[in-house]
Amino acid sequence: MDETVKKYTTRKEFFKQYKKKSRLQETWNRFLRNKTAVLGLFIFVFIMVVAAAAPLIANYDDEAIKINVPARLKGPSAEHIFDTDEMGRDILARIVHGAQISLVVGFSAVALALFIGGAFGAIAGYYGGKTDEIIMRCMDVFLCLPDVLLALAIVAAFGTNLVNMTVAIGLSFTPKFSRVVRSAVMTVRGIEYVEAARAIGSTNAHIITNHVLINCFGPIVVQVTLYVASAILTISALSFIGLGIQAPIPEWGNMLASGRAYMRDHAYIVVAPGLAIFVTILSLNLLGDGLRDALDPRLK
Amino acid sequence: MFKFVVKRLFAMIPIILAVTFVVFTIMYFTPGDPTNVILGNEWSETASAQLKAELGLDQSFIMQFFHYVKNLVQGNFGMSYITRAPVGDQLLARFPNTLIVVAGAMVFCVGVGVPIGIYSGVKPYSLFSNVTMVAGLLGVSLPIFWLGLLLILLFSVQLGWLPSSGLDSFASLILPSLALGSNYMANVMRTTRSSMLEVIRQDYIRTAKAKGVNERNVVLKHALQNAMMPTITVIGMNIGALLGGVVLTETVFSIPGTGRLLVESINKRDTPTVLGCLVIMAVCVAISNLVVDIIYAYIDPRIKAQYGGGKG
Amino acid sequence: MDIKKVNEQENTLEIKNLVIHYISDDEVVKAVNGVNITIKAGKTLGLVGETGAGKTTTALSILNLVPEPQGKILSGEVLLEGRSVFSMNPLELEEVRGDKVAMIFQDPMTSLNPVHTVGAQIAESIAIHRKVSKQEALKQAKEMLELVGIPGERANEYPYQFSGGMKQRVVIAIALACSPDLLIADEPTTALDVTIQAQVLKLINELRQKYHMSMLMITHDLGIVAEVCDEVSIAYAGRIIEHGNLEDIFDHMRHPYTKGLFDALPDIEARRSELKPIKGLMPDPTNLPTGCPFHPRCDYAMEICSQSLPQTKWISETHCVECHLYNDTNESRL
Repeated sequence: MDETVKKYTTRKEFFKQYKKKSRLQETWNRFLRNKTAVLGLFIFVFIMVVAAAAPLIANYDDEAIKINVPARLKGPSAEHIFDTDEMGRDILARIVHGAQISLVVGFSAVALALFIGGAFGAIAGYYGGKTDEIIMRCMDVFLCLPDVLLALAIVAAFGTNLVNMTVAIGLSFTPKFSRVVRSAVMTVRGIEYVEAARAIGSTNAHIITNHVLINCFGPIVVQVTLYVASAILTISALSFIGLGIQAPIPEWGNMLASGRAYMRDHAYIVVAPGLAIFVTILSLNLLGDGLRDALDPRLK
Repeated sequence: MFKFVVKRLFAMIPIILAVTFVVFTIMYFTPGDPTNVILGNEWSETASAQLKAELGLDQSFIMQFFHYVKNLVQGNFGMSYITRAPVGDQLLARFPNTLIVVAGAMVFCVGVGVPIGIYSGVKPYSLFSNVTMVAGLLGVSLPIFWLGLLLILLFSVQLGWLPSSGLDSFASLILPSLALGSNYMANVMRTTRSSMLEVIRQDYIRTAKAKGVNERNVVLKHALQNAMMPTITVIGMNIGALLGGVVLTETVFSIPGTGRLLVESINKRDTPTVLGCLVIMAVCVAISNLVVDIIYAYIDPRIKAQYGGGKG
Repeated sequence: MDIKKVNEQENTLEIKNLVIHYISDDEVVKAVNGVNITIKAGKTLGLVGETGAGKTTTALSILNLVPEPQGKILSGEVLLEGRSVFSMNPLELEEVRGDKVAMIFQDPMTSLNPVHTVGAQIAESIAIHRKVSKQEALKQAKEMLELVGIPGERANEYPYQFSGGMKQRVVIAIALACSPDLLIADEPTTALDVTIQAQVLKLINELRQKYHMSMLMITHDLGIVAEVCDEVSIAYAGRIIEHGNLEDIFDHMRHPYTKGLFDALPDIEARRSELKPIKGLMPDPTNLPTGCPFHPRCDYAMEICSQSLPQTKWISETHCVECHLYNDTNESRL
């Protein structure tokens, strides 16, 4: 008896695997046909590579941190193609190293939001009824506070360091992820293989992690992409108003803030870091939109 | 309809209360002793204890929250730690500026985003539509504060056409509105376009055309009302985002609004003022959500019926 | 002799050699590939065929409503009382639509605008074409509602408050509001419950007779054809493969496909007999077979069938067929 049940699940798993793979392939092919999406992916991979290779491009301590007053604001040159800032630091070096911080904090914050929000959302969507009602009402309360403000409040209370900021941004995105995961869970909840898993006596936790969440993968990937963009934007926004990452650590937002005073005569000092934020966010948006279209061809 | 609005107004109260609780709790955990901030050099053990008793800071968390809400209901936002003046007065002085900037951005965002979105949704294969799509994609990726700086560089520094700071004339409102609104304008435009595209393919649009309704009325009378639903949702969600973004805009353009006040107060560790700013912004979001719901009910008879208001 | 002889009687609708393809980046859907249809004043033509035979596209072309920009009218003409639809300017088209020609759509659930009252939706057509005031149009709309069997006071309600059958009555009321010369009914009962189907059909038929309209009845249900039509055209892969009056088609069918359609019907007299479905599937309209599009499924297929498209062959004054079986005879070979 036990064995037949087991056999059945493996067979079921087998077919599911088979089906998923072909679907994934199809999605990927659709994605590749979307030129702007591929461009987005290309740019984003480029940014990640640059961020990872930052130490090879410019020495952190010597070029991005060390104050070198004689070299300040000399204008673009072969040595400093994006000019130097008001402290004589190479702007390009700071941008490249800034990419590391933005990406790390952006991804960590979204991972946190996904983990907490996803758990609540999955529980709410899977159990429905009262549980759903209570969790979602709580999340609604957080949605009343614009996420920049929520992040601001958390940073204001606990101080501005990297960890606090990651937590602040992560928590401020949590309600949004709980909504996304909840609605994704609700759509797959009624589908037969979930019913089948329930029928053969899988535990709820097992069903949620092994069946429901795996099948919510698509919409979640899309949201993760778009929210990483949002998180990177929030980091630089907080840093810009002086409540995020503090100088001298190179971060795009605080580079803009400190460069503001000099922008009238030295446009590079604000154009270059802003461009870095803009291109990063644009690439993630292109990628996210492309993924969404590829996952849901109906929308095209 | 009136009953519906009243019902929704009452439903807002627990939400605002809950938001206040959340914000209050976060701020309660601010490390450090507020009496340090207030007394500065005059700090002493006894003065601190006396002040704590005076401000109610020696009471339990629940009691402090209870007092805060009690005062809030009477329109009292408490005393600023720094200026020792009522927070409410400061908010009253600063908040209108914020509202003006947000309203300016809203007008730009709806007034430009919606018509462009409609047109490019109706003519999805035109050059215009393609250009706006690209512009929209770029627009949603633009950081508010960077756009603000670029606008200042171009229109104030280079061309000298518009003021770069303050909020004392209509001209000085233009750049902040553009900076704050562009991002959301692109968002509204993209949403309107795609929902228009979706609606224009519906069978009832074909029915209308088959009746002999002209092109213009097909769009204005039949498609628009249906296509506006997602747009209104996005506009509603954007109000919250606009209020978040206004902090940045006010910083870039040195506008004395609530956002600027919030940042200054955080830097000065002036907790009551921070709290007041956050609460008032959350109330704004709650009210705008209510307005969006009412507009929904007005547009869609199914929703109207669901709430038992109106006819049918 | 590929176009029907000119009749003395006036033709409400003439479609001549219509070709419409849907062209997108990836593929070309050959929906309509040379359709000829004629409807005489006051007569009803049944256009019968499977899903994907190009029936709806043909119908939409009469109102020049083929979905843009994918739908391309490559050749052919549609004449409404002698006037070419494709050469009308937008203003003339708006005058024709709803007034001269009206259409009942397949799915009543999606054919009504959810945000307008049904009264307003009927009145709109009247207001456009009759140039009357809003109040007068609304009054007439209520009369139309009564005519299709819905109490006039329900004019102020919204579509979501109506059942499917009721919605289809509203759609009919919209179509008939200006008593058009030609009514196009695109599978008007397909989306409805079986019990409602007969009522709606009866209603359409009664009103048609009352207003002396010509009608194009698109359906895949031969029972409906027998009930309401004067003539029948059988469509296959975007062509009319057989045409005739009821007797020609029901009793003297010539085309193997037509025969297949009848064989696939359940026979009430012989309950034990098995249904004989036509083997195979409708060909993929992006990749039509060469020669006669039906030949891969045809029991009578000959060598020539895969090589050349059969010409229209007139069996009698009223009856024609496109099939190589009749290249040298008029006698049935089925």
